[in-house]
Amino acid sequence: MGRERASRGEALRGTTTRPAETWGRFSRYSSALLLFFTFCAVAVVGLFVIRDLRRADKDQQKMYTGSVLSLHRIADLEYQTQETRRSTLYALSTADSNLHVKYADQSREADHLVSQGITAYLANARTRNELEIGRRLEQDWSTYLSVRDEVLASILEGSAKEAVDRDLTEGVESFDRVRQDLAEVERVYDQQASEQLSSVDATSRRTIIRVAGVLAITLIATIASVWTIQRIRMTGAIELAELQMEFVASVSHELRTPLAVISSAADNIADGVVKGGDDLRKYGAAIQNQSRQMMELVDQILLFSATKDRKSQVPLASLDVPEILHSVLQQTSDLVRASGFQIEVEIEPALPEARANAPGVARCLRNMVVNAVKYSGESRWIGVRASLSHSHLRGRREIQIAVRDRGIGIAKSELARVFEPFYRSPAVVAEQIHGTGLGLSLSKNIAEAMGGELTVQSELGSGSVFTLHLPILEDNPASELPPEARVDGTTEK
Amino acid sequence: MLRRAHVLVIFVCAALLGGALLACSFGFAQLSAPEQSQAERNLAIVVNQSNPVNELTMAELRRVFLGERGHWPNGRRITLVMLEPGWPERAAVLSSIYHMDETEFNNHFLHGLFTGEVFVSPKTLSTPEGARKFIFNVPGAIGYLRASDVDKTVKIIRIDERLPGDKGYKLHVPPREGR
Repeated sequence: MGRERASRGEALRGTTTRPAETWGRFSRYSSALLLFFTFCAVAVVGLFVIRDLRRADKDQQKMYTGSVLSLHRIADLEYQTQETRRSTLYALSTADSNLHVKYADQSREADHLVSQGITAYLANARTRNELEIGRRLEQDWSTYLSVRDEVLASILEGSAKEAVDRDLTEGVESFDRVRQDLAEVERVYDQQASEQLSSVDATSRRTIIRVAGVLAITLIATIASVWTIQRIRMTGAIELAELQMEFVASVSHELRTPLAVISSAADNIADGVVKGGDDLRKYGAAIQNQSRQMMELVDQILLFSATKDRKSQVPLASLDVPEILHSVLQQTSDLVRASGFQIEVEIEPALPEARANAPGVARCLRNMVVNAVKYSGESRWIGVRASLSHSHLRGRREIQIAVRDRGIGIAKSELARVFEPFYRSPAVVAEQIHGTGLGLSLSKNIAEAMGGELTVQSELGSGSVFTLHLPILEDNPASELPPEARVDGTTEK
Repeated sequence: MLRRAHVLVIFVCAALLGGALLACSFGFAQLSAPEQSQAERNLAIVVNQSNPVNELTMAELRRVFLGERGHWPNGRRITLVMLEPGWPERAAVLSSIYHMDETEFNNHFLHGLFTGEVFVSPKTLSTPEGARKFIFNVPGAIGYLRASDVDKTVKIIRIDERLPGDKGYKLHVPPREGR
């Protein structure tokens, strides 16, 4: 039988979710969780990508509107300035006054467009440098237009030579200044375009790095999650296999000892070593005793197997707690006496009847008493107390049957595993205390099937207290018991 | 009660004002047609907006148009703008200012330029619009247009202290009938 303990006065309820169950549930939902996390990661990546793409798109639009259109405007401005001068000079090519007027009109239309362009440039200028260039351009263009007007006037008056002289002396110089200003404006636009292009490039690079980074993190997180889950599953499987191997070894050992006794007794009887009725009775009693132990062990294994299914229910009825307690103590009296134990029994007077299954309660109590005997170490004292208490957890009154020992106790690190099937403490194994690791697990299952519970308090080196909690009949009348409740292997054999 | 009376008074005043404005505009509309006709019949002498001269006597105007005066007081060379033969405005100028016909006009300038007595060679434009634009472009230009063809790009000068439309203004042109 397994040994499960608690330490340092801590109470641990048998109904507490165990780590294995927790991991089991986690494993069950791990795929969904992984999918969820992956979806979240992909969604986050998607949001990053969309945001960066939108930013890049805006940057590109801004670059286009801010630089490309500006460059287009400045190119148009350059063309119109050339057109202004060209139309003026065309007028030199004819003596027809009507054509002179036509060319003058063309020149003035072009210079009007140039003036509009310069005004627009000044309106859009944001930096001090842009404003300075714009104002200079405006001034230089105005100067050129003054010259142009004089040149036009000279041409229209018919003084071509005067017009050419003025254009060469003043017009060319002022027009060159305008061209230089426009070239400077173009350089500024080029510079701005380059800066914005660099910004777009930087945004693009940042986007790539972010996406790659987030994808890498997502990949690493996914791999780590899968690895962790698989490791947990594998570790759990290995631990279970080890426990089952230990269980098989323990059961074999538990079976081998009585079988050896029976076999030896049978050999002696067959060989005629046993003579006389007294010896024969003695050997018969030994065989009977060992057979009962084997039967008990097999029953326990079968019962654990049957109660492992949580859906199993036991028939509940009114139960006289002192009576069942005395019955169990009677059943274990031989073991207690043989081990030299002293049992202190304290039963609170006028205990109400419990709502429980008598064979189930008997089995739980037997396990608790036998455990106390096995793990009491040098101490030879066991305390049994039955009392009426209020359960804060369930919010009702209940009968508590506590079995206390002053034995080796249970380490805190092992407290969480005391009710796990097949689990046996390494210290217990080292001390060669026999057991299957099923006793407390079986008792817990039975207690829960009855609507009760099994809890433990323990302190390493000071002893342990295992308490069976049973609901009382007054709060749960027998008439409310489910009629379809079925017996599921919990009958005393 | 008092408030209602105020509202009524305001409403009546607004109605009277509206009616008066309507009547005035109707009246102006009726008057604008004869005025338009008058403007078409008056021949305006126009110069560049930058020209400081605002008025000339008929005698001075004749000297200018005959090319006997080469420069304006500001030193700008005088450029005489004529419309092509066939325009009523040209005929009116030949008649009212030059007192010549086309042949006499041509002979005058050919002779004057050859002898150096005439300082200005007239520029001939094919349309009044062209003439107006020419005058706009040349600071020393002077020409003639129907008063209805004049806009803000050129300046009308007084002749004998009269503007087109003034009583006693002497330069007129037959109504426009197309060429």
